[in-house]
Amino acid sequence: MKRTGVFICRCGINIAGTVDVEKVAKELYKHTGVVHSEDYIYMCSDPGQNLIVEAIKEKKLDSVIIACCSPTLHETTFRNAAKSAGLNPFQCEIANIREQCSWVHKDMEKATEKSIKITRSAVERVRRNESLEPISIPVTRKALVIGGGISGIQSALDLANSGFEVILVERSPSIGGHMIQLSETFPTLDCSQCILTPKMVEASKHPKINLMTYSEVQEISGYVGNFKVKILKKPTYVDPDKCTLCDECTRVCPVVVPNEFDIGLTGRRAIYIPFPQSIPATYTLDIKACPGLLPIACGKCEDVCEPNAIDFDMKPEIIEEEVGTIIAATGYDLYEKELMSEYGYGKYPDVLDGLQFERLCSASGPTMGKILRPSDHKEPKEVVFVQCVGSRDPELHCAYCSKICCMYTAKHAMLFKHHVHDGQAYIFYIDIRSGGKGYEEFVQRAVEEDGVLYLRGKVSKIFGDKGKLKVWGVDTLSGKDIEIDADMVVLAMATRPSKGAEELAKKLKIAIDKDGFLSEAHPKLRPVESVTSGMFLAGAAQAPKDIPEAVAQASGAAAKAITILSQERLYHAPTVAMVNVNLCTGCEMCVHVCPYDALSLKDGKVEVNEVLCEGCGTCSATCLRAAIQIKNLTPLQVHEMIKACLGG
Amino acid sequence: MIHFGKLKQKKGKIHINKDRCKGCAFCVEYCPKDVLELSEEFNIKGYHPPRIKNEDECLYCQLCETICPEFAIFVTLKKEEEEVEKGES
Repeated sequence: MKRTGVFICRCGINIAGTVDVEKVAKELYKHTGVVHSEDYIYMCSDPGQNLIVEAIKEKKLDSVIIACCSPTLHETTFRNAAKSAGLNPFQCEIANIREQCSWVHKDMEKATEKSIKITRSAVERVRRNESLEPISIPVTRKALVIGGGISGIQSALDLANSGFEVILVERSPSIGGHMIQLSETFPTLDCSQCILTPKMVEASKHPKINLMTYSEVQEISGYVGNFKVKILKKPTYVDPDKCTLCDECTRVCPVVVPNEFDIGLTGRRAIYIPFPQSIPATYTLDIKACPGLLPIACGKCEDVCEPNAIDFDMKPEIIEEEVGTIIAATGYDLYEKELMSEYGYGKYPDVLDGLQFERLCSASGPTMGKILRPSDHKEPKEVVFVQCVGSRDPELHCAYCSKICCMYTAKHAMLFKHHVHDGQAYIFYIDIRSGGKGYEEFVQRAVEEDGVLYLRGKVSKIFGDKGKLKVWGVDTLSGKDIEIDADMVVLAMATRPSKGAEELAKKLKIAIDKDGFLSEAHPKLRPVESVTSGMFLAGAAQAPKDIPEAVAQASGAAAKAITILSQERLYHAPTVAMVNVNLCTGCEMCVHVCPYDALSLKDGKVEVNEVLCEGCGTCSATCLRAAIQIKNLTPLQVHEMIKACLGG
Repeated sequence: MIHFGKLKQKKGKIHINKDRCKGCAFCVEYCPKDVLELSEEFNIKGYHPPRIKNEDECLYCQLCETICPEFAIFVTLKKEEEEVEKGES
């Protein structure tokens, strides 16, 4: 028979307000095997923990029960206290009498009775607990960062500068993400490219960073510390080492398609370099736009390429890597414009989205920094900016606030006035959300210095009228209908998770929220971790965010990744499934229900991958012969716990 | 759709010498933009020469010109596009 000690926490009045803890202690002392029982105001406090340590030593306890709050909160605290007294930590169990009793009941007598039952059942459980040692696993000291925008670059740099190898995977031909498309950044009006390109260069030249552009993560297996990834490297058909960037190929290429970098405002050839500062600095042959390679339909680029850098025989490659942690920084896309037909996007060339307006303002943009109407290349004088296009519209579009639009629209209006001094900017808004350092002052500056007219209300319709765009809206402050003859309209489209993020989340086994953004493990306390251990989130893939927030989260994710990479070995809870091979018939029912892919069939019997197993018990509940059981929570223990609850 | 920049889609003008054609249909089969189709008419040799279905789609890749065993088809740049080319260089 074990010598069990029971410690009941009052938790101030959280427990003691509803439960007569003294009675619980007294009743438990009568229970078979209990040789010590006491209560204390805060068991988790230092003196409280000392009580446990002293009792273990004095009364030679070989198991302890702490009746307190949920094990998710203080199980580790008490197990460590037990360990410090020389007890195996797995001989310490928690009886949850707060969340599962005192907080949900009012009647003291009944709550006390229930607490006694909960604690008794825990005593019954611990009686058959084995002493276990944590499972130890080695760590591959290498990280994978998915996404080469500002967040991915920042995470990769932080990891590499801490001395760890990093693989940075980007699906487009160059790193830089959306930030490289921006003209200036709020609230300081720093040139976006000027502050991003140094980081891009640093990432590309860093000896610890293996940059893989035009590549996609195809498959991920394994577990924290030991992930195996398969990366598909798409063929660019250009050897970057031979390419001299002479640009001869684009001159002969017959195809022109919309340029993604300028969001279709300009064209590019089928063979192209996304932008002058592209990293890696090389050309890519877009096979979708090319007239074809099977057979080679045109081949003009190859004919003129003097250094023979073009290789039509290049094939997709699958590269296998092993990494210890993964950071997902897949970023955002703007809301599908086709869904906003009432605003005429696509129908009228002078209705632009926010990113297109960024390109128009940018010194490296299609107009070399002049703001011109796409339709007739004239300078617009009256520009209407519409906020919350697709955001904050739970009935039809996205329910959430896209967060960055208030600020970038203020910036757009300001930049417009800086380019066109006699112009007038109107902004339709619902609320102005300018929380952030220097943000409110920035909006005020737009109003006071640049005379931007803010109109509180929504736009109902935008349509073409004699070469202008008629904007119908309402000013809800004055209650008047508003009609503006605008030269140009800029829509602040909602931000959405980037295309393919959902598919990637499935491969990574990361949860996504109702809007498709990657879910963090805890909204307050674990904002950069995913629910899957060893996988972290950075940037706008998790929720809409501006550049400083994305950078901060990226650095946070890198720091979290380092907590794994800096370990020699990782430890995993040993309360995992075990198989009684004599009972197992190899029916595989447990293999199919396991949510962690931890079970497999080997020689007709089920085998447990102890590292992948989280001890959830689904297999044990499924098995008809009790051949698979969770250590320290066997069917026998569960049976005795139920018996104790029923008072038997 | 593309409103800014110098790049304009090149447009080809297709010339078919019907009487040289032997109706092998390589040009029809391999045109990446599916610009050509075989006609119903007969040429002097009794073959069906190709016919232009959709010249606007022609990218001036000249594959038909290269692939034709009979030198019966060739492409030139459309005139207005040629001027743009000269103006650029």
